[in-house]
Amino acid sequence: MSKAKRRTYHGDARGMSRRKLLQLGLLSTAATPLLRAARATAQTGGAQPQASKATGELKNPVEFKAPKVKASGPTTISFWQYVGFHVDAQKFIAEEYKKRHDPNLSLEITAFPGLNEQRVGVKSALAAQSPTPDIIAIEPGAYAVDVSTSGSVIDFTKVFAEDPEYKRGFWPNAIELLTINGAVVSVPAVTNTVIVYYNRGLFQQHGLEVPNTLEELKKIGAALNAKGIMPIAYPAGQDRNFPIFPYYTYLGGIKADKLMREADLGLKPWTSPELVAGAEFVEMMAKSGLYAKGPLGIKEQDAIQIFATGKSAMFWGGQWMRRSIRAALPPSFDLGIFPFPAVAAGGHKPVLSSVGITLTVNARSKYPDLAFEMIKALTGAWGKIEYTRNLGLSPNGPISADAIAYQMQSLKDPLYPEFLKLQPTGTTRVIFTPAVEEAVTQGMQALITGQKNPKTVMESVEAASQKVGARKFRTG
Amino acid sequence: MLSIAARRSWRRHAAGYAFVGPALVVLAAFLVYPIGYSVWLSFHEWDGYTPRWGPFVGLENYRALAGDEVFWRATLNSVVFVAVRTPLEVGLGFLLALLLNRRLVARSLLRTLFFVPVVMSLIVVTIIFQRVFEPNTGLLNTFLRAVGLGAFTHPWLGDPATALPAVIAVSVWKNVGFSLVILLAGLQSLPQDVVEAARVDGANAWQLTLRVITPLMRPILALTALLSIIGGLKVFDLVFIMTRGGPTYSTEVLATMLYREAFELNHMGIASAVAVILVALVLSIARVQTFVLDESRAGGKA
Repeated sequence: MSKAKRRTYHGDARGMSRRKLLQLGLLSTAATPLLRAARATAQTGGAQPQASKATGELKNPVEFKAPKVKASGPTTISFWQYVGFHVDAQKFIAEEYKKRHDPNLSLEITAFPGLNEQRVGVKSALAAQSPTPDIIAIEPGAYAVDVSTSGSVIDFTKVFAEDPEYKRGFWPNAIELLTINGAVVSVPAVTNTVIVYYNRGLFQQHGLEVPNTLEELKKIGAALNAKGIMPIAYPAGQDRNFPIFPYYTYLGGIKADKLMREADLGLKPWTSPELVAGAEFVEMMAKSGLYAKGPLGIKEQDAIQIFATGKSAMFWGGQWMRRSIRAALPPSFDLGIFPFPAVAAGGHKPVLSSVGITLTVNARSKYPDLAFEMIKALTGAWGKIEYTRNLGLSPNGPISADAIAYQMQSLKDPLYPEFLKLQPTGTTRVIFTPAVEEAVTQGMQALITGQKNPKTVMESVEAASQKVGARKFRTG
Repeated sequence: MLSIAARRSWRRHAAGYAFVGPALVVLAAFLVYPIGYSVWLSFHEWDGYTPRWGPFVGLENYRALAGDEVFWRATLNSVVFVAVRTPLEVGLGFLLALLLNRRLVARSLLRTLFFVPVVMSLIVVTIIFQRVFEPNTGLLNTFLRAVGLGAFTHPWLGDPATALPAVIAVSVWKNVGFSLVILLAGLQSLPQDVVEAARVDGANAWQLTLRVITPLMRPILALTALLSIIGGLKVFDLVFIMTRGGPTYSTEVLATMLYREAFELNHMGIASAVAVILVALVLSIARVQTFVLDESRAGGKA
């Protein structure tokens, strides 16, 4: 935790001693169902362990490994990213790294206001063959393909060969998303999921239970509408990714996400029955009365407001919004999450997962080795625990029960372990071909507004895919 | 070797060249060169990542645009944006200027109030109006429900039929104060003897405005319209923040298409072609407008 944050923490405590606060925190943590569970051992994959019962002030249980390469003199490496709320976590780790391992190395972080701005900046820098920034934050999908196929970044082949343990620390499905033409282009700092937040109090008040199937969700929607409560606040107007969420969700629910990936790569048609069924699902959802009115005119902050004020009972969004949602909620608000209900009879509940911000090294960096060492510090075994402890996002790979208990000391959010459990079950929400992503976005908007039918939409996506021709890349 | 006359001429103009020289250098570096480079790029294929542009493709990017439905949609939207925004902005600005040119109570305060949106950050304005137009809890729909017009509530930005009008409305609200200030300055610089003479001749307020003030204001009105047209054609930030050109390209304008092609689809060549077309459009409109201005001035002198 940064010094500034520590100050805030003490300020909130209103004179309570640190020990007392810790005890309180630990008590509340222990009260969660998660901590009632038996202690689990460290995992290397599969389901996340449950946190151990904490009995005192815990420390990060993982050793902060020393780098293989150190700076020979005072050196600053630059890092351009696009998520302002990650800066504190990154600074904290970089400062610890400097303090413990490499006093000559500083990290200069530039946080652009958003992905668009950062991407424009990075593109200009790369085209100008600039050695700055040394570290670049990129998004999985088209951005990763662009920087990789243009030879603008250095992949992790050498780093992983020298340190296989580091590679094993990431979720395989996360690394798969970042593997272009057989090489891992970048590594995730965190992972996150798209789930349904719900107002537990409102559900209880109206005798509603968490839905397991789509039919149950529709019944809940009808019951809420009858009482004048909007069922789901869905901010489809936020960016070009949001309108596709229902489509990804359906394909994940019928296990057709791999088929979608093949279609994305031009290997299968977008007009196959499964992919058209996904579009039909999007249309059905738009007409079902489950969404708050006019989803394409709703941005994240509007949706949070609708949900926080009890005007809607559910909120369809990402784990990355957990903090914004919490900040908007009144103290009495009982927040819960659940994975989207099964879309097909007997099917599983689809959880969209992605890796959010990922880090790579500029091919023209003057200090590529130092940049890789800094990325390893930020995303390695020790760093990932600190990074996600700061943010409450899921780590980029499995962490031990002790690590979760350590994180919960400061996070104190019972939802955090629930997110951790969902992450490994996630299905993709990434399209790699820019023109296809654009066609899918526009097509889903047309379905939501009722301008086109599912078949026509998928035909236009297929036309866009064919226009791109043979892809110059493969994934996974 | 220069002739004596040439040397004299050079000496006579040297100071002038010295004064405009730095400005010309800046113009060349930051205007002429980028425009020239864009024209050059529009004949090439380039993804924007590699240090050198790709192969020469001649007019292929322009041909691709001619066959692109989205380009025609964006062009039409840009034209509609300008065609609706300019008369509203200039017309309202003129009406307000006429009103505020009279002796009114709190005239200074009103002038300031109308100018406030102009100086407000565009980001702030767009965020406020996103909230205003939000379909469920937004101010506009809440107001409509409160006054018994609930049937007219609408997802303004989420419906392709109303998204562009909504964005235009915000643009007019934001810029009408600018037209107002220019036109008010124009009104205050009108020759008062002509106005007084018309009054003495018995012209009523309507006749005075229509037959005397408006013709005298023609050059200023034309200038205000020109600025509004150019601003309308270049509009990017307002649309990009409010709707990103959606839903379904219903608010896509040439500038947002340019951005999408350049930075989302990596078609720098096509984006450059859009930029060249946009510049050509703006320059030709500016030329037409200056021609009209010159004509009106000449007419005035005659």
